[in-house]
Order: sequence, then C-alpha cells, then structure tokens
Amino acid sequence: MNAFRWWRGILLAFFLVALIRVFLPLPFSNEVVIFSIYVMGCSFLLGQVGFISFGQPAYLATGAYATAFYLFYFGTNPFAGILIGIAAGIVMSLIVGPLFVRLRSDYFALVNLALAVIIYYMMQKVLAPITQGDNGLWFLTNMKSTPILDISRPKEFYLFAFLVALGVWALYKYLNDTLYGACCLASKINEDKVTFLGYSNFKIRLLAFVIANTTTALAGSLYAIYLGFVSPEMTSAHRCADPVVVTILGGVGTLFGPLVGAFAFTGMKDLISNLIGNWELFIGFLLVFIMLAGEKGIWGSLEPRLARLFTKRA
Amino acid sequence: MNQTDILTVRSLNASYGESKVLFDISLGVKPGQVVSCVGRNGAGKSTLLKSIAGFIRSVSGEVTCDGTSLLGIRAYDIAKLGIKYIPQDKKVFSDLTVRENLELGSYATKDYNWDMVTDYFPKLKTLLDRKAGFLSGGERQMLMVGRALLGSPKVLLIDEPTEGLAPSVVSHLKTVFGELKKKSALVIVEQNLPLVCAISEKIYAIKEGRIVAELVGDAIQANVCEGYL
Repeated sequence: MNAFRWWRGILLAFFLVALIRVFLPLPFSNEVVIFSIYVMGCSFLLGQVGFISFGQPAYLATGAYATAFYLFYFGTNPFAGILIGIAAGIVMSLIVGPLFVRLRSDYFALVNLALAVIIYYMMQKVLAPITQGDNGLWFLTNMKSTPILDISRPKEFYLFAFLVALGVWALYKYLNDTLYGACCLASKINEDKVTFLGYSNFKIRLLAFVIANTTTALAGSLYAIYLGFVSPEMTSAHRCADPVVVTILGGVGTLFGPLVGAFAFTGMKDLISNLIGNWELFIGFLLVFIMLAGEKGIWGSLEPRLARLFTKRA
Repeated sequence: MNQTDILTVRSLNASYGESKVLFDISLGVKPGQVVSCVGRNGAGKSTLLKSIAGFIRSVSGEVTCDGTSLLGIRAYDIAKLGIKYIPQDKKVFSDLTVRENLELGSYATKDYNWDMVTDYFPKLKTLLDRKAGFLSGGERQMLMVGRALLGSPKVLLIDEPTEGLAPSVVSHLKTVFGELKKKSALVIVEQNLPLVCAISEKIYAIKEGRIVAELVGDAIQANVCEGYL
C-alpha cells in the first residue's frame, strides 16, 4: 500500500462510487453507499479488534428507529433526525458495551445476535403501540425540505450519503493510522501484552465498540431518511449475518473492503434475484470460495495487484 | 527485606482456581539490584512474576513497590506504576512495525526517549519499519526489553529472557542487564545458571511453589544453584 497511496485510493474508490450513479439506477447507488457505511463498523470491529458481531442490525435499528420516532412523532427536519439517530447509537453502545466487550469473541458474536433478536421483538410486539409493529412507521411526507441540500429528495440524498460515506471512511482511515488503531490491533493480537504496557483492553475495546456501532446507527438513520419508513424487518434474524458476510466478501480489516463488499453484495442481490429466487445460495457458495481461496476477500485479493500496477507506473 | 527494598513480597500465596501454586513466598529487592529466581519447570517462578505484575488475581499476602501495595490493583495500573513484566514467550505485536511497537510503549508512559532504547540495542534502529513478526528471536527480545524500558520503570520482571537465543545475543543481554540495573531493579527468572550467577546479587531457589534457599555473596555459584534444579 506504500506506492498505492491512500489518497489516490480514496479518490479512485469514491470516483467509482460517483460513477455508479451515472450508469446505475439511483436506488442501487443509494443502497450501496448506505450499506458501505453500515459495514464499516462491522469491518472495524472484526479487522482491528477481532470481534465478530452478528448483532449489527440491533444498532442499525437503534439509529433507524430513533430517527423514525423523531420524524414520526416530534419533528420534520431530517438532519435533526440523523443527529438523534447518532446519539441513540452512542447511548445504546454505552449501555451494552461495558457488558459485551468483556466477553470472548465467540460469546460477543452471540450476545449481539441475542440483542438483535430482543430489539426485533421489542419493535414488533412489546413497543407495537408506538412502533406500529410489522406495519412500521411511515414518515416520508412528514419530512420538510431542507435548505442547501434537500435530503428528503433521493438525488440530493445520494450526494449527502456519498459525502457522509467519504467522511466515515476518512475517520476509519485516520483511526487506523493513529496510535489508537495500533492499540486496537495490538489488543486483537495479544491482549495480555497490551496490559503489560499499561493499557486497559476494556477501554480500548469499549471505544472501538462505541465508534463502530455509532457508525452502524448512522447507517440506520440514513436508511430511515432514504426510505421514509422503518419496520422491525431490518433487525430480523435472517439479516443478522449480512454485515459479516459483506465484510468477509470485501476483505476483513481493509479500508476499501466495505465499499467493494457492499457493491458486490448489492449488485449480486439485484442481479441474481432476477434469475433465481434464493439469491443467498449464490452468496453462500461465493463466501465458501473466498474463504477457501485465502480469506482475503475481493479487495484483499485486488489490493496487492493494484499496488504492483501503480508501483510499475510510478 | 528492610525499608530500602523497592519491591517487597511477604507471605505471598497464589493459585490457579483450586490449584495452589505459590506458598508463603517472601522476598525483597533493593534499587539497583538484580535478583534471580531459579528452579525446575513448574516450580512457580513465572507464576511469582505474574502475581507481582497483577496477572493472577487469586493471590493473598503482601506485595509492595516503593511503599504502594500492589495487591488488588489491575495489571495495567501496576505497569503504569513502573513495574514492567516481560513474558517469556517473546510474542511481540507481529502485525505492527518495530516503530509502532515502541510507540505503544511510549504513549503509555509518555516517554519518547528512543535514543536510550537504541543505545542499549543499536540494531533496533535499523529495524524500525520492519513488521515485528519478521524479527528473529533475539531481535524480538531486544524489542520487548527496549519497549519495557520506556518510562524508566522502577522494577523489571523478566521471565526467561535468554530462552532459545543464540550465545552472542545472550552475551549482549548480559551486558545490557548489567547496565540496566543502574536504573531499575531487575527480577529475573532464568534457567541459564552461568548468566544468573554472573549478574545477580541475590538468588532465590524455588521448589514446588516455595522458596527453599536464598543465596547471596559467595554462595552464588552455578554448581550450588544446580542443586536446586
């Protein structure tokens, strides 16, 4: 990655994302961008901290429902809705994080899955009087136009989501390059030795947990604004593996992995679901192939080749 | 074990679950002293160091450093107090570079005096951008000791530092330990008896979790120590 400088990478990657918009339908472009934000948190947890989470939809729903509650019951400004979604993500992470990050990686995966199931039933049954259960909350028409960038309109929303994705990507790039990123990686490699140096694994992991899940909640808020609708379906058990699948598909621990994975996953879903009913079958086979082929994912395999290509040209 | 001891251990007992490993251990380390622990595998030497460093929670007795009781304090806070533990496995953060490994040590201690580290281990200067996973065993040990030196620790707890290392590296470490004791007290667990005898002011022989001998002065001889292995 030395020759293939990160700024060249980010410009190229986001140029391609912008290009998607030119050649591909707007809904597809929007879904790729939001999905990539959704997956960045999961990729950070898995790649930098070594925590696999099958409960990311819980945090996605936290952000989405917080935004939806605001826009359905209280306000009309979608930007305020996003800020509330982010705040809800932080609060949720701070409530469950101190309990969850003490667990081993395998138990961490399952306890998050359990949280997603709990949130699903909370939204579907327990809180049905305010969430309207399976019918969901519809608030598309409640949103008022906003000055400069009217994100209640899909085209302008795409630009906004694109800029947010760029910002989130830059944040994770920054985190990876800081000492905190090294601390996370060190904690993943050998937690005892991090303690020998005077660091608290708990604090390192809690911060990572809050950052990752706040990112996921942000993605939830964006979904809510984009669709103008939320339902418990987004946190149902059969969607829980999606962010992990996309992380592995794109390349665990790589910065571009979430973007590439989201593009590949959404693309395959759209293309293959037109041909066969059970498109997940194809994704399953692809995942098996990727893991048997070296566990690098699409970007993890492409990156060294691109680096060589750029080195030669330089 | 008088008032000048920087590290004092009194009646220390430690266990792994139901299994008791250390029995009534007492020892003292003065500033600038090298104290070694010898004994057979499984005697409890490493457990002693881990107990002092706070990695074993089920301990009773008294451990104080410079007057501060260490029992009940979390391991990372003990490290911040200046008691650094260097484990025997020589596992560094393999995905991080030597520079990043040192940065981790520096940030925790707010000590960025890498010149001091490279004065002791000049080779590290040439390896700063190499991933630690690609270092030799000797280089890893240099990195681990060098990283632990940041923050000017009061006590270094070093577990089997020469295990599996080439004679030239062992010789270098011996010189370094001789220099280090001017700044920090050293507690070393080691099987290399000639090295132990050459650098130690005091040796504790440990057998089945108990101190069975305390050797000082002329009693520190390899053949005497061998009797306790």
